[in-house]
Amino acid sequence: MTRNPSSRVFVLAVVLLGAAEAACTTVKPAQRALLADPIMQFEGDPQASAQYRHAIDNREGSYGGGGVSGGGCGCN
Amino acid sequence: MRLQLSSLPRAVARALAFAMVSLASAEASAQVVVFDTAHTLWHEAPTRTNMTVYTPGVAVSATPAPWITVRGSWEADVVSGASVATKAGPAYQATNPGVDVVTTASVKDFRQAPSGTLTLRKGDVTYTASYTYGTEHDYRSNSLFVGARTDVFSHNTQFDLSFARNWDKVCDRIQGQTDRPPRYRALEDSTGCFTGDAPARTRRDLAIDGLQATWSQSWTPVFATQLTYTAQILDGFQSNPYRSVILGQGVKAQEHHPENRTRQSLTARANLYVRPLKLAVRLSGRAYRDTWQIASGTGELEVERYLFEGFRISARGRYYRQSGTIFWSDDYTGGDPPLGPKGQYWTGDRELSPFSSLGLGFRATYAIAPARPIWIISAVKASLSGDAVQFDYDEYTLGGTPITNARAYMLGANLSLSF
Repeated sequence: MTRNPSSRVFVLAVVLLGAAEAACTTVKPAQRALLADPIMQFEGDPQASAQYRHAIDNREGSYGGGGVSGGGCGCN
Repeated sequence: MRLQLSSLPRAVARALAFAMVSLASAEASAQVVVFDTAHTLWHEAPTRTNMTVYTPGVAVSATPAPWITVRGSWEADVVSGASVATKAGPAYQATNPGVDVVTTASVKDFRQAPSGTLTLRKGDVTYTASYTYGTEHDYRSNSLFVGARTDVFSHNTQFDLSFARNWDKVCDRIQGQTDRPPRYRALEDSTGCFTGDAPARTRRDLAIDGLQATWSQSWTPVFATQLTYTAQILDGFQSNPYRSVILGQGVKAQEHHPENRTRQSLTARANLYVRPLKLAVRLSGRAYRDTWQIASGTGELEVERYLFEGFRISARGRYYRQSGTIFWSDDYTGGDPPLGPKGQYWTGDRELSPFSSLGLGFRATYAIAPARPIWIISAVKASLSGDAVQFDYDEYTLGGTPITNARAYMLGANLSLSF
């Protein structure tokens, strides 16, 4: 579980460089039609996606990436 | 429970109808109220066990002003099937030939989780808070969620930060005062849990803290990415109280998991629209690790395209692979490695064993938003989905019998109406 501190610095540097690069990114409002289309959304149907994750998460030993809400398992 | 089953949906339906009619008739913008209902059916029937879970959900959100959205939802799990009650492995079965060392028990449960959410917007920042109360025959959950999201760099970048805290209680059997975990007996059933009817029942605490940070980025008019870090700390009772594990000749003890667990994951997603094919490609990868020494990787690929205006269809594939927890053993009584005792904890949970899974599915969605509302409905979206997941367990057996037919099927239906 111990991680080399230099790898953490590397990850942080990548994130900061990405954020800095993001500041230079210019997708103009008129160019956002496709990005705004439901087909390009990360969470197109939040309720259906949440149910899918709920079913899958309870059959695996891992978790994460899809929200931090709780409410029980319903699995036994 | 009969009262809950029969009266709650009617009460929810009345409340939803009142909310829709009153808010839809209010003077406001074009989309004031959104009604969502989603239903999922899960079924699996591997060797000796089976599980069917029907998950209905309904939600109503109202946006009476641009700066505020109020959402109420209700979700349930109707669970029935048979699960493993006593887990034993190949070495114990070999020393007890002619005896079925594994037992199963029927399972019936009903989880419901009403939830309320308030979303406030100020400029490019959105604040969200929600509360969920979950109940099962043997479980109570109070969950509080708070989150904030901001748009920066001309709306090309979004940062999300959210935190959730659960105060849960799990029904368990009262153990003998002088007994230690190897002598603990499993909970027989949920009778008397949270009702006080049965004297041998107690409640065990489980606290869950979750943190999630997300960075979403639009890089070009057809390419966007998302990076999500999730951490979760669990403190309390995390075993299945009904399951026993054979630890030695004639020694059967309730499953015993550590009370602390810290979990972390990093998820990267990318969405790309391929213009020549008019196809959206969604790629996702997740790396996960926890203090029970489970490490896992997940890869997902989904492609979606419009077949005609408003109708789109997608196909998705998902591969998942995990290692087993450090205290996993298929047989704690001994045998050749990797069998044998693993210290002070033991489990019969196949989800804590090393395994992989492969899922394939589809989704069809039809969405229309007519220029003029039909009656009071301004937009409709309906979708159907189907998935099949094959689980391949590396070590998990039932008394030495490998589970080769662990295949689950999922059907989903979703309807969304905007008023």
